[in-house]
Amino acid sequence: MTGLGLLTRFSLRRSRVLIGAWTAVLAVMCYASAASINSLYASPADRVAAAESINASSALVALYGPILDTQSLGELAMTKTTVTYAVLVMAVAIALVRRHTRVEEESGRAELLGGLALDPRAPLVSAVLVGATASLLVAVTAALADIAGGLPVAGSLWFAGSWLGLGLVGTGIGAVCAQLSANARTCGAVAAGLVAGLFGLRALGDTTAAGWLSWLSPLGWSTQLRAWSGTRGWVLLLDLATAVLLVVAALAVRARRDLGAGLVAERPGPATGSPRLADALALNLKVHATSLVVWTAACALLGALMAAIVPGVGSILDSDGARQMMERLGGVGALQETLVAALVSVGAVIITCFVAMVVGHGGAEEHDGRTEEVLATATTRSMSFAAVALVALGGAAWLLLVTGAAMALGSIGAEVSAGGVLAAALVQIPAVWVVAALALLAVAVRSTWAVAGWVLVVAFFLLGPLAELLRLPGWVAGLSPYSHVPKVPAESVRLTPEVVLTLLATLVVLAAWWRYRERDIG
Amino acid sequence: MSESDVIRIRGLVKTFGPTRALDELDLSVVPGEVHGFLGPNGAGKSTTIRVLLALLRKDSGEVRLFGGDPWAEAAALHRRLAYVPGDVSLWPNLSGGEVIDMFLRMRGAPADHPWRAETIERFQLDPTKKGRAYSKGNRQKVALVAAFAAPADLLILDEPTSGLDPLMEEVFAACVAERKAEGTTVLLSSHILSEVERLADRVTIIRDGRAVESGSLDEMRHLHRSKVRAEVVGAVPDLSGVPGVHDLSVDGPVVSCTVEPDGLPGVLTALTAAGVRTLTSSPPSLEELFLDAYRKDPVG
Repeated sequence: MTGLGLLTRFSLRRSRVLIGAWTAVLAVMCYASAASINSLYASPADRVAAAESINASSALVALYGPILDTQSLGELAMTKTTVTYAVLVMAVAIALVRRHTRVEEESGRAELLGGLALDPRAPLVSAVLVGATASLLVAVTAALADIAGGLPVAGSLWFAGSWLGLGLVGTGIGAVCAQLSANARTCGAVAAGLVAGLFGLRALGDTTAAGWLSWLSPLGWSTQLRAWSGTRGWVLLLDLATAVLLVVAALAVRARRDLGAGLVAERPGPATGSPRLADALALNLKVHATSLVVWTAACALLGALMAAIVPGVGSILDSDGARQMMERLGGVGALQETLVAALVSVGAVIITCFVAMVVGHGGAEEHDGRTEEVLATATTRSMSFAAVALVALGGAAWLLLVTGAAMALGSIGAEVSAGGVLAAALVQIPAVWVVAALALLAVAVRSTWAVAGWVLVVAFFLLGPLAELLRLPGWVAGLSPYSHVPKVPAESVRLTPEVVLTLLATLVVLAAWWRYRERDIG
Repeated sequence: MSESDVIRIRGLVKTFGPTRALDELDLSVVPGEVHGFLGPNGAGKSTTIRVLLALLRKDSGEVRLFGGDPWAEAAALHRRLAYVPGDVSLWPNLSGGEVIDMFLRMRGAPADHPWRAETIERFQLDPTKKGRAYSKGNRQKVALVAAFAAPADLLILDEPTSGLDPLMEEVFAACVAERKAEGTTVLLSSHILSEVERLADRVTIIRDGRAVESGSLDEMRHLHRSKVRAEVVGAVPDLSGVPGVHDLSVDGPVVSCTVEPDGLPGVLTALTAAGVRTLTSSPPSLEELFLDAYRKDPVG
């Protein structure tokens, strides 16, 4: 296929930072899980108890998948990575394929390639190769991280195989979804919805009598592979066959459509603008309108799901291992309240991704010249800055409110108070604002630093576990704003950290605003 | 050069790290004129415009827009102007019509002026398409329609016709002429010389961040060599000794050369003495003026 090798090397080069960063993050997660297992559970009996207690909670099984061999060290250590974190492997593959197919077509760069001596199938095939290469890289480093963390070699390799399988399926999903719409964001949303559906299918199969449902989802296959004992290697062939089928389907669709076109035709827009679309804030809200709706629905769902997990925690009260695990997750307090605090803190990190997206998009607007067009009108620098800042800060507060409200509604009847649950979500707002403020400051200093928001989310998320694992001094973990949020409702609401975090966020936003007013645009 | 200038720039300096993008640039645009702003890529045209629009901060020099400070009073001054960049970027999920109306409202202009429908019609733009569906030329049209769809005191056009087909370039030229008739001032940055020659009253040519020529085309022509071609009856006179004569060539009875303004009387005397059969003298075209400005060694 003419040009395939060249194009693939070029794409890999363009995405080397993305691939490298994700590989590192996922490897750290694997190593942390593997290395912490012995310090979490001192004796084999403790591990069996912990595994049984996870299996006893349908909420945890829905989240992580069941533990098929309760004697297995590896399976317990890799509980979260087998299914839950494996979603991230699929996400990397989907993001990469989308980036090198539909995003290229939407930006018009694919047209440049269309004029070269390239096989018309080469861009899609090369994107698939990029996705597969990244999956392989992630899998190999995951295997090495597991082995380095003290887990058995054979199991580590099979486990890495399950990640490779999911990466390949993700590559196939990305390839098919990239054919559907002319809008790269729509393609991404369809792929994300599909992965959520596969996750839900597996969760249903794992927790109900209809166990066969898990066999319909590649995420279910990862558990059924039994990487750590009594391995059924042929399960990986299911991943491979699915991936091949998806890629073949994508190629068939690609051969039948025009460059830049989608299967779903783009609807025309209005010929005139709404009178409300008259300032930078209205513009930024319009740009993020679809995201805001999707994120609101997703946060409501996330809140409801987390609320559903909470009552389940009571059923594992009799296990020492589970109790220790819960205390490690959230500190002191009643188990349910600790679990609420722990779940909400994860929700806060997820919601910070929305903030990173909004701020990053602000940088892209400037980079692409659209901010310049707006600033050439009667829009002031302050208005342009406020448009991004308000959507980021207001959006974060709104999404935490939605998550907290959904969770509170879902926990009516549980032993935790609904008000406490709502408060647990709201106390996270200042921490998320601090991250948002730092991301805004980065963009205000230089528009090309827009990726800083994502770097901060990942860094602060990993800081806690890493500091614990490497036994770093306390202040290192304390660098993360999330670490200062009171663990409501297990703890009472303390005003001092909340006020300090809010003040810090305010100061940083003011510094960003001051800098943005002074600097060159573009 | 008076207080009434719409744009007045004196000694403008803008550096990007070690690069001196604008080096003591002067530019003045008087009310009601179409001012051609010429220079090849990288000469500093867009940088000048971006300083005028307060997108970039000047290092030193004096910049006045409508007599005001373009940095401190940016938003208020921008209500009086419309800007068309050379490479228009649109929002993927907004239709062309939405963007046009948004730009109009953002600069405080009415979105329902009769010119709006008329301009869309003339540029043959489909306003219902979404941003990502427009070609380069059509994205350019969206910004042009937004600029021409309501009255403005000043149009700042930075290579506005890039990507337009010749028919649309005609429509653009007609729109500029009409706005000029209404009293609108236009700063037209371009490297398409025929467009500027046709539309501009005065021209500033910049090179390496400073203005090397400025004035009306007539004034500039007076300062530059004309092309002279003559066929003589008798022996071809030796013009090489006449001051101000360059590029001399003789082909049988035909002699051609370029002559500096001061050298013309001497050349004519010599030719008349030899007996002229035909004589053509053409003033330099803008293209020749432009190339001339770039042939000279850099000054200072």
